Amino acid sequence: MLKVVDTAVPLACWSCSVAHNESTLFCPHCSKIQPPSGGDYFSVFGLQPNLNLDLAALEREFHRLSRKLHPDRFARAGESEKQWSLADTALLNDAYRTLKDPLRRTEYLLKLQGAEIGESSAAGAGPARGGEGKGGNRKDPSRVPADLLEKVFDLNMQIEEMRMAKKMGREDPELRESLGKAKEKFDALVAAVDRDLRAQWQVWDAGDAAAREPALRAMAALLDRRRYLGNVVRDVSEILGV
Amino acid sequence: MAYSDKVVDHYNHPRNVGTLDKNAAEVGTGLVGAPECGDVMRLQIRVNPETQVIEEAKFKTFGCGSAIASSSLATEWIRGRTVDDALAIRNTDIVKELSLPPVKIHCSVLAEDAIRAAIGDWRKKNGVADAAPGSAAK
Repeated sequence: MLKVVDTAVPLACWSCSVAHNESTLFCPHCSKIQPPSGGDYFSVFGLQPNLNLDLAALEREFHRLSRKLHPDRFARAGESEKQWSLADTALLNDAYRTLKDPLRRTEYLLKLQGAEIGESSAAGAGPARGGEGKGGNRKDPSRVPADLLEKVFDLNMQIEEMRMAKKMGREDPELRESLGKAKEKFDALVAAVDRDLRAQWQVWDAGDAAAREPALRAMAALLDRRRYLGNVVRDVSEILGV
Repeated sequence: MAYSDKVVDHYNHPRNVGTLDKNAAEVGTGLVGAPECGDVMRLQIRVNPETQVIEEAKFKTFGCGSAIASSSLATEWIRGRTVDDALAIRNTDIVKELSLPPVKIHCSVLAEDAIRAAIGDWRKKNGVADAAPGSAAK
């Protein structure tokens, strides 16, 4: 029979009443569609919350479940089942979009683990971070080193200078060259962050409880760096037209 | 999401954009960033050493409209105040004035942090101790 992994109270299928894990979209016993689960995005795909994912397998599973959930298949079904096929499809789409992207996947895991993370995730799932800023709950400013801020600020100034020059119809080859060099440097910084992030993924996936806590903190700090770097790299690429 | 009229006004007509000489003794510089979105903000103040009044404030922000409006408003508010008075400004005051939505609250936090960082830098440069209202600069 089905193994119930970590839910305390297994849910019963509305149709056949056999208990099942809450994270399933279809009853493993009678194959009937289930209402959206209370489980996390990983469990939608029957996965453990790990960061190294087989993306090809994830995509296959996404397509398989999408087909099974397609509203056309429920044209003759009951009203609830019709509703669930829509709601489950929305959940599946959100889950897939989040998990296939390495940064969003990491961000999502941090959110599941209750770590302080960024705004971008608030646009997708979860409540907005409205409670913040009432006084407490301030982030540790040391999480982003001052030298990085300085570099990012200086590059932004150069990008703006280039934008102005372009607007006036002037092309400053020196500035362009300097920006090109800066872009290379920043690309390298991004690559370094991505490498470090993957190293932390390994630590997390290894499952050692004592090592996981520092790994989460390290990942939160790396994602912060990544956001600063990502913005300027995007802008510098745009202005250079590469 | 629609910006409030005040945000749009500050965005279209930012007050006090610019740079002060960061090496000058009477100038304090705060450079802060918002890890939520990668915005960066630099706020600078020129303080009268006799009166401790902020006589000039400049900013430069790379970020969204709310971040630009928050820093623009911050420079307006701190100009003419003493450093201790300026420290009394809370991000919630900025939220209220600009009608910032919850997802943009961190922009106001950034502006408050920038004020603190600039004043902290000025104090460090001038050997002024924290929280000593009225005490003269060295």
